[in-house]
Amino acid sequence: MKFLRYIVLCLILLIMIFPLLWMFRVSFLPSNSGLSLINLFSMTWTLNTYLDILTAGNMVRYFLNSMLVGVIVTAGNILFCFMAGYAFARYQFIGKNFWFYSVVFVLMIPAHIIIIPLYLLIFKLGMYDSYWALILPFLVNPIGIFLIRQYINTLPASMEEAARIDGAGEFKIVFKIVMPLCKPALAVLAIQVFLTNWNAFLLPFILTSSESVRTLPVGLALYQGHQAIDWPHLMAGSALAVVPVLAAFLFFQRHIVSGITSGAVKQ
Amino acid sequence: MIKRRFSGYLFASPWIITFGIFWVYPLFYSLYLAFTDYRLMHHTYKWVGFQNFERLLSDQSFLISLKNTFIFVFGTIPATTIIALILALLIEKNFKGRAIFRSGYFIPSITSMVVIALIFTNLYSRGGYLYLLSEMIGFSTPANGFLLSNKTALFSVMAMDVWMSVGYYMLLFLAGLKSIPKELYEAAEVAGAGFFRKLFSITLPLLKPVALYIIVINTIKSFQVFVEIFVMTKGKYGSSTAVYYIYETGLSRFEFGYASAAAYLLFIIIATFSILQFRLFRRKTT
Repeated sequence: MKFLRYIVLCLILLIMIFPLLWMFRVSFLPSNSGLSLINLFSMTWTLNTYLDILTAGNMVRYFLNSMLVGVIVTAGNILFCFMAGYAFARYQFIGKNFWFYSVVFVLMIPAHIIIIPLYLLIFKLGMYDSYWALILPFLVNPIGIFLIRQYINTLPASMEEAARIDGAGEFKIVFKIVMPLCKPALAVLAIQVFLTNWNAFLLPFILTSSESVRTLPVGLALYQGHQAIDWPHLMAGSALAVVPVLAAFLFFQRHIVSGITSGAVKQ
Repeated sequence: MIKRRFSGYLFASPWIITFGIFWVYPLFYSLYLAFTDYRLMHHTYKWVGFQNFERLLSDQSFLISLKNTFIFVFGTIPATTIIALILALLIEKNFKGRAIFRSGYFIPSITSMVVIALIFTNLYSRGGYLYLLSEMIGFSTPANGFLLSNKTALFSVMAMDVWMSVGYYMLLFLAGLKSIPKELYEAAEVAGAGFFRKLFSITLPLLKPVALYIIVINTIKSFQVFVEIFVMTKGKYGSSTAVYYIYETGLSRFEFGYASAAAYLLFIIIATFSILQFRLFRRKTT
């Protein structure tokens, strides 16, 4: 029985990871391999595809664009989600409930509804096809605000009160005392935002057109546009998009999982 | 709670500004556009009332893409939910190597959708591994590969989608399973309940809130299916979906008004389903 269970589990594991293994395998084939020549048992291995995409073409550019945008957007979310989360957890101000409902509201709005007006707006603002278009709309997100607010609600307010009595300024209290305490939640937030941004396709695709600001998923999706698909090169480019995700998963698995499940159980 | 009007607004301002510029304005702007005939090159455009909506309801390609979206939603969600639940039950208990299986099953769902769609384009095409496998087990395979046939294109994308997302929902089910008190099972065992009795009397009823949460978020997500269609079929071979249609009319034919109307119609459909599911959710959990 135990043995049978392992066999079933291993079989499912194979089904789940074969496509990714296949991607890596194809990426090491010579670039003239047509689909019919691509064989699981082929003995040909070459690094040429990787040398090609690292030295010529735009893949490296796309990769760096994705990194640049990902890092800035993540930094923005850490700062701004934290600030807003703190305001909603600790301050009392007129219209606070309204603004908090705005967070919940956006959380529930399906994003497809804004693609056309956002495209037109970005155009009007003169940001179309620039890094600004990939960064500005995404610097703060409702899930992040929600996460931080919930976390701060679980922290005792006594330390902040003591600091206030000592005459510490608001900024010092919030950034020097509370922010370090929120590290676990901020880590979850950072990884979630970075991965979402790293994999994002739809909005980066519609808000840019030139290759110089293109992100990696967009570059890969449009690479196909060429007539015959050059699978080894395309899969090597795909590997560039997957490796950072796998690395993040290896190091931050706990944070990724807790980010996903935190919403579900509290409902 | 301290009253600090200024600090409160100062700290919430990045959100308030983002909300105003990138959510409120676009939402109202496209609601307005939905009632106009605005398109590229028409710098003047006029109010046309409900004309766009009337046109949509008799537009065959829109109706087909809407039908495909429903097929996608109602085809993938039961499969995804059930498989995710089975996976969660399979690896619930602690055993050697559990972490490896959990991670392995989960990895596809954090990988870029574009990359997954590209890999499956390879696997599904003629001579690709899934194609060869289907031939081997005697499945009738379309001559040009699964994605270039009216019969199989949409279903192939759906199958990939289920494969990709089961790991994610498995994690949510695992979290739900963890929250079931162990004493319940112990008491049931004392009373002589077997595996199935425990499953149907304890596990499944107590997983209902998680299951409904999964169905609600998956419904909202699945109604908006786009990326995999864009990468794998470009909406051809009878596989266009509502958001693909909105993209095509709005951003490649530049009929902004008409596409906005389609977007709002889809929005109404999604909202209706979410509200219905939330109602069900409330009733079942209280």
